[in-house]
Parts: sequence; C-alpha cells; structure tokens
Amino acid sequence: MRYVKLSAENFSPFFEALKELGKIYGPVKRNSTYTFVQVDNVKELSLDYTRTILPPKKFFVKPRDKLFRLKKENWEDIKDGESFVLFGVHSCDIHGLKILDKVYLGDPPDPYYKSRRENAFIVGISCMPDEYCFCKSLGTDFAMDGFDLFLHELPDGWLVRVGSVKGHEVVWENQELFEEVTEEDLKHFKEFEEKRAKAFKRSLNKEGLADILDLAFNSQVWKKYAEKCLGCGNCTLVCPTCRCYEVCDNWIRAYEAVRERRYDSCFMPTHGLVAGGHNFRPTRLDRFRHRYYCKSYFDPSAGFNCVGCGRCDEFCPARIEHVRVLEEVREGLL
Amino acid sequence: MNPYQSYDAKIIEIRELTSREKLFTLRFTDREVEEGFTFKPGQFVIVDLRGYGEFPISLCSPPTRKPIQLCIRRAGRLTRFIHKFGEGDSVGIRGPYGNGFPLEKMEGANLILVAGGLGMAPLRSVLWYAIDTGKFEKIYLFYGTKSYEDILFRDEIIYLLKHGEKLNCHVKLAYEVETPSCIYLEKGFSEKVCKGVVTDLFRGEEFDVNNSYALICGPPVMYKFVIRELLDRGLSPGRIYMTLERRMKCGIGKCGHCVVGTSVSMKYICKDGPVFTYWDALSTRGLI
Repeated sequence: MRYVKLSAENFSPFFEALKELGKIYGPVKRNSTYTFVQVDNVKELSLDYTRTILPPKKFFVKPRDKLFRLKKENWEDIKDGESFVLFGVHSCDIHGLKILDKVYLGDPPDPYYKSRRENAFIVGISCMPDEYCFCKSLGTDFAMDGFDLFLHELPDGWLVRVGSVKGHEVVWENQELFEEVTEEDLKHFKEFEEKRAKAFKRSLNKEGLADILDLAFNSQVWKKYAEKCLGCGNCTLVCPTCRCYEVCDNWIRAYEAVRERRYDSCFMPTHGLVAGGHNFRPTRLDRFRHRYYCKSYFDPSAGFNCVGCGRCDEFCPARIEHVRVLEEVREGLL
Repeated sequence: MNPYQSYDAKIIEIRELTSREKLFTLRFTDREVEEGFTFKPGQFVIVDLRGYGEFPISLCSPPTRKPIQLCIRRAGRLTRFIHKFGEGDSVGIRGPYGNGFPLEKMEGANLILVAGGLGMAPLRSVLWYAIDTGKFEKIYLFYGTKSYEDILFRDEIIYLLKHGEKLNCHVKLAYEVETPSCIYLEKGFSEKVCKGVVTDLFRGEEFDVNNSYALICGPPVMYKFVIRELLDRGLSPGRIYMTLERRMKCGIGKCGHCVVGTSVSMKYICKDGPVFTYWDALSTRGLI
C-alpha cells in the first residue's frame, strides 16, 4: 500500500479536487444524529462523527430503488450511472459494504448494485469508538481494502492510505497537495491506533460463537428478549449488512408503472409468509432469533455478518443490546 | 443482461384442473428464447405480471416436452389475478431457478414420488420426464389429495391408474373426504385408491431401499410423516429428496426472504434449493 500525507491546509483543496469525480456525500450533523448527505463545502462536514443512522449501504441498496419502468407493456431498465464520492466512511461500514458485495456481486451480479459500486469513490476516515462500538472484537476496526483512499488523523493533517487504482490516480493528479510521510507521522499514526484500541468499551466474544448459538436454539434468553423486542425492525434498517428487500409494482400514471424494491425486515410478520397463508416464521421469537442467527452466521470465507458498528443498539427503542443478548445466550448454555 | 428482466411469454392454453388450480401452457414470444429454454424437473420460474408483481412457481411440465406448463393455484393476490387471464394474453417469465432434482444420479434406480395436494405440480415434471426417458427402474407415485375434485391432472392420474404398469409406473391415491366419485374410483381400483393420508399408501409396498430414491413435495406438515415412514423402511437420508417452498422474491439469492438456517449453516431456498436431501434438513434448522 502507498502512504502519503495530506497537510491540514491542503484538506480543503483536496476536498474541492474530489468534486471532479462527481457529487460528494459526507457525514453531516442533523440535530443530535449524523447522516450522509450531499456536501458542497468542507465546512459542512462533521468528520468527528460517531455513526450515521443509515449506513452508506443506502447509496448502493437504496431504501426505495426503482428498477424498471413499464411503458407500453414493456419494462425499461432504469439506470443511474452517475459517479459519486462517499467521503468519510468508517472502517466498519467499509467492511459492511464488503459483506454486501459477497451477496450482490455473487453470481449473477445485481446490475444496479454493481454499477453503483463501480461508480463510487470511497474515502475512509479514522474514528474513535463510543460506548456502542464493538468492531475491534470482530476484526472490522481496520480496513485493509474496500476503499480508494483512507484518511488517518494526524496532529497536523492526515496520513493517507491509497487503496485502489482510482485512489492512485487522484493522488497522482493532485500531487501538489500531498507530501511524503515522515517517521514522525508514522509515530503519530501508531500512537493514535494504540489509543484507539484501548478506547473500546464493548467487545463480543466470538470464540465458538456460531456453534454455541446453534446449540442454544431453545435458550430461554431468546424468549426473554423477544418479549422485550417491539418488532419494529429498526435494527435491520440501520444495519450495514442487512439487505432484505421487497419488490412492488406501482402505477404512477394510467399507462405507466414502476417496479421498485424497498427495504424489508425479517422482523415483519410478512417476511416468512407465503401465498395461501402459511408463515414459516410465525412468532416474534422465531423472527428475533432468526436475525441473531443471520448476523452471527459464520462464513469461513468472510467471517460474521456483523461488523460491530453499534447501530442496532443505539437505535433500538427497547434498548436491546446485541452483544448482551449473545453473551446471555452463551452464559445460559455454558 | 439484467437478471431481473423477464422474457415475454404468451399463454397459449388454459385448462381448469380444479376449482382452485389452472394449468397454463406458455410459449416464449422470442423464438430463440423458446428454443434455448431448458430446465431440470424441480426448478422454478418467476412469473412477472407486469405492473402488478412477480411470484415464483414451479415448472410442472417435463423438460422432455414443450411448451412449458405451470400449474397455478388461486392462493394470493397475484395468482387470483392471473386466473383472470385468457388465452392469448402475455406474461413475463424469468428463470429457470434453483437446483432441481439430480435425476441423472438416480438413473437405473426406483423413483418413489410422494405428493400431497399442490405438491403434485413439481413432481409431475419428474413423473413424465421419467416415463418419457425410460431411464429408471420403476416409478412409484403416492399421491394424497383432499377429495376427488381436488385431484390435480385427474385425467393423467386415472390414465396411469389404468395403464401405468405398462409404462413401468405404479400409481396410488389417498383421499381424505369421501364423495361419491371417490368411492366410485376406489371401487374401480380397490388396490390403488383408499381413504386416508398419503403415508397409508406405503402399506403393503415393497421396494429395494438400496436402489430407490424418494422425491417428496407437499404441504409443510406432510414432510415429517412421510420422512419417518421412509426412514422406518430403511431408506437412507441421502436418498430422500424434497422440494421446498418459501417466499422467493428474486430467485437468485439477493432479497433474503428465503434464507433459512442458523449461525452454522445458512441456506437460500432459491439457489441452494428448492431441492434438498434429508441430510440437509438434519443440518439446517428451519428447513422443514
């Protein structure tokens, strides 16, 4: 990997230079929360953000996504081929996108997702964990790939890791903004990472987790939490790796319809319902447990389906904590 | 090519099978697509009612015969809608999806088809494929139905009750509700038709468990009983195949609706299935 330095005074020109690649979306503070929105001026950015409500998956798997337009009895593809920049993505969310890649780019690739992935320029940014983060225990606290540039905060600017050809091109074309990394910069980088590693308050014990959960299928803990759970589906909407969608056709004019897909949640009673009225996951307990199984599914080639971003905890109205549920299930079994 | 894009197909024939089920015969408008469309028994397609939605449905005609046929039960919003379609109307079809039955592996062996209700639809594809190719030792069909009026492909079943042995096909039927027609049928084929459930049909049947495969499709409640019956007879779990149903929206493992299993094994019914062996069911919770 190539490392360069971006000094603090060059940050704004760097941001302006990225506009060449398309619209820039970055984290912006809205009341007490953050959200990725289009940003024109570097001053609008809140780079010290903790987490946005919706993860960056919303740019690739949109909450409402138009697929086809029906015109004269024929479907026409709806394409959105615009290039864009995602500025300030945290490592956990980059890992979240990599998990989505496994699904959406797997054979046959989803053309909508694929084109958006190809059109996106991702600039990662280092972060400090808050009380909800447990990414370190899942190994998603540091991204080795899945970004074009990654900015690590230094006292006097940024250490930039270049992660792709597109990233190289940007650095190449804006050489005047970057300088060589010094020994001192590396020392600061190391110090920051060490400080960050110590700042985690929450961790998930993943030792044998997949097997333990499988054995604990009838655990009373699932029942306890399923009773507490409101079944609202918030946790699935804000999750960077949840990707269930529903497809519906909507008539927009007398002779014109669109087919769109929108987020669905396995917490909804209709998720496992089939025509004729049979439901494969009829109770909230079935649905609650299913989500935990889906998130804790261990894929030998990709790890768990959870990146430890802490969104499901922060935005759960019933204050159910992901790590706590799993720990209690583990304790109940052992 | 966009994998969500369906091909235009024309309904060339509609046959009313029962009061709830209709058989749609379809031909793709595009000649190349029509000629290139191949599938395995047990696979399904997604029917696209443009502007109204999509639904998955298994192919019920054998790959040895063209054009393709779909047996559709009026069960929900979309199937109610397609039941209003007429001959000459067109729909979209995409697929085929899923793994299908590994019939090439079963060549030379006995096939025990166990169907319950609408489960007859995908197994009809296997049945006629097996009869047409003649590559199998003997074909058993055990079919459980509600009443005489609910027998799917009644003419074909009665034909096979009469002449099945000539085609190496042994058909038996169980019905639940006694109606005069059933009693009449039972009188005609006293050895082959009885009142009861599908597992009652196994009584008195002998088959070489080391050279047989069971293929099951029916309502969720049926699997447990049929599998127990087969295991009791000594059929190994790897020889028991079943085809399952879930809410498949995309058919290609993206939408997440058909995911089953736990933290150690997760499967997509649409692409890892819909055909699974009993071994899969033992290692994947929630499969049946």
